[in-house]
Amino acid sequence: MAYTPGNPGTKLDNNFENDLLALADTKLVLGNWYAECVMNGRSLPDFAAILGMCTSNYGHTRAIYQYLAAHGHDYEHLERGRGPEEIHSANLLDKAPTGWEDFIVSTWLAELSTWMLASGFLNHEDRAVAGIAKKIGEETYFHLKYAQGWFQIIGEGKKQTKLFQKAFEIRFPLALRWFGPARGKDPVHQAGDRNTPLRKLRDAFLKEAGSAEKLLGAELTQEKSVDFGKDWRSNARRSGAMPDSLFEVVRFKDSEIAH
Amino acid sequence: MATKLKSRKKIDQKRERGGTDPKYYEVFARKDSHSELSHVGSVEAPNDQLAQVRAWYIYDQHKWKEMCVVPLEAIITVTEEGKSAKIKMA
Repeated sequence: MAYTPGNPGTKLDNNFENDLLALADTKLVLGNWYAECVMNGRSLPDFAAILGMCTSNYGHTRAIYQYLAAHGHDYEHLERGRGPEEIHSANLLDKAPTGWEDFIVSTWLAELSTWMLASGFLNHEDRAVAGIAKKIGEETYFHLKYAQGWFQIIGEGKKQTKLFQKAFEIRFPLALRWFGPARGKDPVHQAGDRNTPLRKLRDAFLKEAGSAEKLLGAELTQEKSVDFGKDWRSNARRSGAMPDSLFEVVRFKDSEIAH
Repeated sequence: MATKLKSRKKIDQKRERGGTDPKYYEVFARKDSHSELSHVGSVEAPNDQLAQVRAWYIYDQHKWKEMCVVPLEAIITVTEEGKSAKIKMA
């Protein structure tokens, strides 16, 4: 497919915009998870790695907000003006981690699921979108490797392995929820904005998530039936609004002094 | 008066740091395809994956074209045969 330089100022397809916002907002929350949990790292090199992953995710969020701002959105509103019901982050990251194993499971699932969706834009005709997707892929490579390194260490301990399995059982269906109903509509693919169908990305996510078993050396329960509840919003890729407690963490505290 | 920190968290340092003795990796990198692969420093990590990630984020002073980590135990000394290679933190 030939790349085009894109057309700043033009309005984007609504569904495509929603997917970009879900990606950016999930990465905003993920970046905050890393920022909040950095001091739980196990050594100074770990602090450096967690902070690196934090800033990468903030960078992805910022790049997507800027892209949306070039297509009719107000950047300040995207970054600082939205309430908890307007932020489209994954339900997966709504609840704070209960321990180190849960932190590794949750951040890994968030990195993996966001990368799966982003990878569908690698061949987007607008090179700005394709470039952002490529950058996300390059950086997520290390984020996933970090988790994989920890799988092996966690797998060496019986108690730690059980905690990991328990966390996976809870977090995995929430990660799967982000992809929406397995046989749902896929307007972004149909419109040509994403060249890979969501169903294929979901399958790839399932396969990758299963690969953790080998590194961990233990079985993981993949609950594939997802409860979307009554308040599922396909445009936000989430059910309900972001919890107030999480919003308090991610919201801008002093928007009036921002430049 | 010194503050006494109370912590309920117990971290198995021995397991998470990779056994009784720390495991070190030497880090090599090159800026571009014309540059030589040079020693840039060392990292401590319990396994290869974490060594790769830690090296990438610690030695991020350049946008490296290539970076490699080598377990210190894999290095065979030539000038001081039989002795361990001396670790050199950058």
